[in-house]
Amino acid sequence: MPDSGVFEYLAAGLRGAVSRTNALPNCAFCVLVFGLSATLSYPRGSPRSCSHIATSGAVPAVPRDYFSQYITIGIFVLVGLGLVGVTLQLARLVRPNVPTREKYTTYESGIDPIGRGWTQTNVRYYIFALLFVIFDVEAVFLFPWAIVFERLGTQAFIEMLIFIAILAFALLYAIRKKMLEWL
Amino acid sequence: MDLAQAIAQPSVDWHALSPDIVLAAAACMVLIADLFLPEESKWLAMPLSAAGILGTLAAVVSLAGEHRTTLGGAVEIDTFALVFKGLFCVIGLIVLAMSFGYFRSGRYYQGEYYFLMLCSLLGGVVISSARELVTLFIALELISIPAIIMTALRKADVKSNEAALKFFLFSVLSTAVMLYGMSLVYGITGSTKLDEIRSSIASSADEPLVVLSVIFVVIGFAFKISAVPFHFWAPDTYEGAPSPVAAFLSTASKIGGFVGLLVLMFRAFPEVADTWRPAFAVLATLTMTVGNLIALRQQHIIRLLAYSGIAQSGYVLVTLALIDPSRPEANAQALESAIVYLVIYGIMDLGAFAAAVAFARKTGTYFLSDYAGLWRRSPVLATLMAGFLLSLAGTPPMAGAWAKLFVFAAAINSEVYWLAAVMGVNAVIAAWYYLAVVKRMFLDSPEVDEPIEVPYLLRATMGVAAFALLAVFIYPAFITSLADRSLL
Repeated sequence: MPDSGVFEYLAAGLRGAVSRTNALPNCAFCVLVFGLSATLSYPRGSPRSCSHIATSGAVPAVPRDYFSQYITIGIFVLVGLGLVGVTLQLARLVRPNVPTREKYTTYESGIDPIGRGWTQTNVRYYIFALLFVIFDVEAVFLFPWAIVFERLGTQAFIEMLIFIAILAFALLYAIRKKMLEWL
Repeated sequence: MDLAQAIAQPSVDWHALSPDIVLAAAACMVLIADLFLPEESKWLAMPLSAAGILGTLAAVVSLAGEHRTTLGGAVEIDTFALVFKGLFCVIGLIVLAMSFGYFRSGRYYQGEYYFLMLCSLLGGVVISSARELVTLFIALELISIPAIIMTALRKADVKSNEAALKFFLFSVLSTAVMLYGMSLVYGITGSTKLDEIRSSIASSADEPLVVLSVIFVVIGFAFKISAVPFHFWAPDTYEGAPSPVAAFLSTASKIGGFVGLLVLMFRAFPEVADTWRPAFAVLATLTMTVGNLIALRQQHIIRLLAYSGIAQSGYVLVTLALIDPSRPEANAQALESAIVYLVIYGIMDLGAFAAAVAFARKTGTYFLSDYAGLWRRSPVLATLMAGFLLSLAGTPPMAGAWAKLFVFAAAINSEVYWLAAVMGVNAVIAAWYYLAVVKRMFLDSPEVDEPIEVPYLLRATMGVAAFALLAVFIYPAFITSLADRSLL
């Protein structure tokens, strides 16, 4: 398992997608990311050539070793953060700067905020959220069951009835404890 | 292949699952019954729960001697599984007897309490026969999560809330660490079944990842069994929880953790035992020594029992430090001694808790200083309490002596003499604080002479437990013959 990890598939998929578009800026980006990662994680060998342009006989540029795959992630994170910073600064350089009072309110195009940040919410909403979980879980199991229902037959039908009955106990409990009455 | 073809109907051996199913049904019945019972007869939830547990016990007995595998190998019924399923049922019955008066007079959500207790017990019953990582994990969580709510049942009591919060936070933390370890194990071996893990982990024994994953799993379990240095939650939680719940945590929850640990270590990871055996030796030494030394200073009976329980965990951990698949005989002896220890520990620890509950029901105090002269106030209670404490100390004429001796013999047989020596020293330290309580009960003079009446149900339960411990001391083959056949 570890020698054909998830990251390798991810990277292979990315390279495939990129090689089909064959656009230059994308290519430069990939050279940066994969080249850096290959250099860092293969200190002995030389960095491979930009493998996604050479479409045939592509060797995985991402190392097979489990831990060094994290270097790829690290570089993705760094490049991602850098990209945010660069675009924000770029926008700052080109946009006009006209501050008005409205622009400094918390929600420029919404309702004016009233009151304080701490507000109280009725605790009963929490009960409803909990009750929702009953039906949520039910749905998660009902959908796959419904797809294969015809193949599985009577036994599966009875099993699902038992499952729903157990969940119904929870609802019955909530009703008897007067959780569904808004006081 | 489409989804419909991927889902095949599994063949289910319903008889093999019957103890679990009976207990789950009983839990549901208790909850429903509670909804329709009027307030003054809510106590009926207790006899109903007891009937459910007896039904489970009957299902366990009906499987005696069988060896069955079902659900694709996730559940395996063998003598090991049945011994622990039976032990959990017995623990459940004793805790029910302890809870009855406590929850009835306090009017603490009786129906919910018994429902939650049965759910937690169900976790123990499931974990005994779980032979697959996910089943093991879910069973372990099934033990913990209802137990957290049970700890917080005394809503108005700040200590109960504090206890539950501490328990919750430590439980979540340990779960996260354990689950990460398990995911790494799955990543290395590509299987969640313990037997497949065993065969495929041996080939990657040199990888640091194997050590990391096993250590993470062990740390997760170390929280559950309150091994030093992961024990901090236990005394505070036991003290703040309703005392029958503390008894439940100290036995069912802890034994559940140990069952999971034994199954994992003897069944899934023995081939890489060289990498993690030293960790258990360190853990066992720390747990025994720190638990016993801190117990020396305790003035509160529940805290004393909490630290003594920590120290007792240390003795069981010793057996895990002896695992060696290349020496099958010594390996088998280590597992046997662990099983014997856990069974005897469950009964004697519950007995001591029951005596503390009985004492507190009439006097309202848990402080050791109030136990002075108990012999003159209630000879029955003093004798029973002394019996359970002597058993915990490992002195004859109680079964605890055999429990310690078997672990000691297993350590000697595996030629790990230094661990046996640590155990011997710790047994002496432990004897001091147990015997100090006995001395206080029998030799000191009481401050008040008012006699203490013990409720009949508690008296009968404690009497049976004490008699069982005495009988096992006289004829240990009761338990050793069972443990002998319950090798993993």
